[in-house]
Amino acid sequence: MKVSKLWLDKFFDTPLPSADVLSNALTFHAFEIDGVEKVGEAKPSDGRPTDVSPFRDEVLDVKVTPNRGHDALSHRGIAKELSAILKLPLAHDPFVVSSDFSKKSATVTVSIQSDLCKRYFAAYIKGVKVGPSPKWLKDRLEAIGQRSINNVVDATNFVMFNTGQPLHAFDADKLGSLDIGVRLAKAGEKMMALDGKEYGLSDSNLVITAGDVAVGIAGVKGGMACGITEDTKDIVIESANFDGVTVRKSAGTLKLRTDASARFEQGISPELAAEGMKGMLEFVAHQIGGEVAGFVDVYPEPQQQTYVSVTVEQVNKVLGAELTGADIADVFTRLGLAYKEQSGVFEVQPPFERLDLIIAEDLIEEVGRIVGYDKIPATPLPAFEKTSELNQNFYTAEKVREELLAQGYSEVFTSVFAPKGERVVLNKVDGVNPYLRTTLVDGLNAALKKNIPNKDLLGLKEVKLFEIGVVWKDGKASPVDGLRPRETTMVGIVTEKQPAVEEPLAMHAPGVFPAEYQNLPLSVAVQYKPFSKYPYIVRDVAVWTPAGTDEKNVAEMIQREAGELCSKVSLFDTFSKGEKTSLAFRLIFQSFDRTLTEVEVNKIMEEISHILVGKGFEVR
Amino acid sequence: MLFMETEARLPADRRGHLHPISSLIREANNIFSEMGFTFAEGPLVEKEWYNFDALNVPKDHPARDMQDTFFIKDEKEMVLRTHCSPVQVRYIEEQLKKNIQPPYRVIVPGPVFRNEATDMTHEAEFFQMECLVVGEDVTLAHLKGTLEKYFTEVFKGVSVEIRFRPSFFPFTEPSVEVDVRLIGEKAPEKLRGRWIEMMGAGMVHPNVIKNAGLDPQKYRGFAFGMGLDRLAILRWAIDDIRLMHSADLRFVNQF
Repeated sequence: MKVSKLWLDKFFDTPLPSADVLSNALTFHAFEIDGVEKVGEAKPSDGRPTDVSPFRDEVLDVKVTPNRGHDALSHRGIAKELSAILKLPLAHDPFVVSSDFSKKSATVTVSIQSDLCKRYFAAYIKGVKVGPSPKWLKDRLEAIGQRSINNVVDATNFVMFNTGQPLHAFDADKLGSLDIGVRLAKAGEKMMALDGKEYGLSDSNLVITAGDVAVGIAGVKGGMACGITEDTKDIVIESANFDGVTVRKSAGTLKLRTDASARFEQGISPELAAEGMKGMLEFVAHQIGGEVAGFVDVYPEPQQQTYVSVTVEQVNKVLGAELTGADIADVFTRLGLAYKEQSGVFEVQPPFERLDLIIAEDLIEEVGRIVGYDKIPATPLPAFEKTSELNQNFYTAEKVREELLAQGYSEVFTSVFAPKGERVVLNKVDGVNPYLRTTLVDGLNAALKKNIPNKDLLGLKEVKLFEIGVVWKDGKASPVDGLRPRETTMVGIVTEKQPAVEEPLAMHAPGVFPAEYQNLPLSVAVQYKPFSKYPYIVRDVAVWTPAGTDEKNVAEMIQREAGELCSKVSLFDTFSKGEKTSLAFRLIFQSFDRTLTEVEVNKIMEEISHILVGKGFEVR
Repeated sequence: MLFMETEARLPADRRGHLHPISSLIREANNIFSEMGFTFAEGPLVEKEWYNFDALNVPKDHPARDMQDTFFIKDEKEMVLRTHCSPVQVRYIEEQLKKNIQPPYRVIVPGPVFRNEATDMTHEAEFFQMECLVVGEDVTLAHLKGTLEKYFTEVFKGVSVEIRFRPSFFPFTEPSVEVDVRLIGEKAPEKLRGRWIEMMGAGMVHPNVIKNAGLDPQKYRGFAFGMGLDRLAILRWAIDDIRLMHSADLRFVNQF
């Protein structure tokens, strides 16, 4: 979620520290930050006059975790986190301001016909003045990537990004009826949404109706027909609570994910609806004009206060720290969690929006992250009272690996997906090879074919490969539970002389397993070197050298002359005749950025011959 | 006769090459078995119960949507496992069947699958290593200590720092993201002197302990899940994750 620093500042008495400080605070105590961006700063490259957009803001992209979507997808939620982390009082918390909702509407009625709506709070407001938003409001919304539409719509958006409660404003005169309902859509029901597209609905979508005509897809988007325009005079504000799963499915099936649906699908508190309405009333009083004609609040089962207990001992037993009751009390106070403490037992009353605080471990996490995980020591595990058991399959696999490596086979992994097989996956993203392999043979044969052209490059006499991997074959469904037998781990090998063969790894199990694993060698590679994707050219050169010639010097001489296009010089044959020794070298030429030509390689080879002859060697 | 018994061993300079992932698993098993850990494993085609429900991932969780998970056609509630975590619950169940109570220490290295488009940094098939410790006095501090020990053994002669950041996973509470920083000349270039996000971890959620058949009032645990391909990429400066399953000896023979 994009969070504006100037917006956050309004929750505190003094401006917050720089965005970098905020970013660090959130990263180590709350949420990952995907980036910090400066906005509103006129850049010469924009070609915009520098006096047009003088506001400067910094925007943090906060990755709110799914467990905190209830409360932290809002500036207020992030401000509250920062207040706890940085120990700055949340001086202007909109949630503690009270509001008067007592005036009942005589004309608007609300009827909830589905338990997927836990609360529907509506306000009927007459005589608003629709127009452009004030500059500060435009700036705030634009900073977080929202387009300013008009003062009424902007107000609903501002309140959503401020409190986390999505709101919707209907043009009351265009609703056709002030009898508002919430129900599941009927099969075949259609609605034109504010984005100008018509959506076909089904009974898995929850809709808002006026006189039983769909005027909004609950929690997702309002209808076009009763949108706010410059001519709008009277409005109905909706601050409601819809079931998260239903909204998520609607947004998914209609391919219409909105800022509202993103909040509802996290599951938010029905209490928050009052905070949303409160926020809207501020705008009625100061920005958009009009007068509240009355409220309707249908809230059949108000959210009950919950309690979660945790002890000082539990906190320390989970975190492995030595925190005191005072440390824990400090964290709860900073987070604004009301608690009672008695002889080391904390009974916490989570605020209504913190739906994530359910069990003791949830509170322990709050303590851990606010205190800071850097305060958690690194404690070695104590010596184990049991001995490590030998995994027989792994032991066998390691034994087979070692034997095959010694025989010159290299290990490969090929894909488990195949063009044919007995079991098949659904909806494979790339659409190819949806079957689970029944054999390693096909993958190994293909791998052999792919590697043979690179034999010289690799300096191999023969390509030999092996794979240890799972196959799914002969899976007859069991008559008992319908399940197929477990997959089989196979070992397969392939060489240039022998097409791939495989057999179950279990056939290689020793008669008796030892108590411990063998100590086997690890890779000694230090760093991988990328290889060229272009073809290579091989050339051989053999020279007669006098007795006492160091072959390494000759190889170096060749490498120097061959230059960087020669990726490898290797001695592949030597024999002696009298005093003279013949050294035969193989040169591999390859470029990282193009295909080399025979002509240029031949030219290099001529130069190498020339140099060798110059040194008194006889080129054979 | 088994096929591999028919051939002679070659001189050392013609020895074949071990896949880097196998080397990492071998090394991890060496280090962890010293600490009493057992190498555990589980099926790759897994029941949704073990892959999700038992791990406290609710039915309507986005991770269960079609785009991330390979579902098996015509087999009810069967998936290609998306992580090695299902073995947490499977292992505990197996132990309890044999009447073996905690403490438990296991590592679970193995292949996992995600239904994603592949590119230089994404693979549909990759390797993870899960680690689970269950007992009466297991703490988050032990997780830090265990990771410090592991990375210190892997990167010998280098000073290892472990850092936790808050995170969220349905199967752990508290949940943390683990960053590692290596200080010293011998550290691989990509890991030297900077914090690198290495894995997700945390204290096993009491619901998972309960789903596995243990009393969460009595037993706690820590768990982590690390991408082995990612570790290999960082350790050896590998430029494309798809090389792991390429079966290309230009890659494998460098290890």
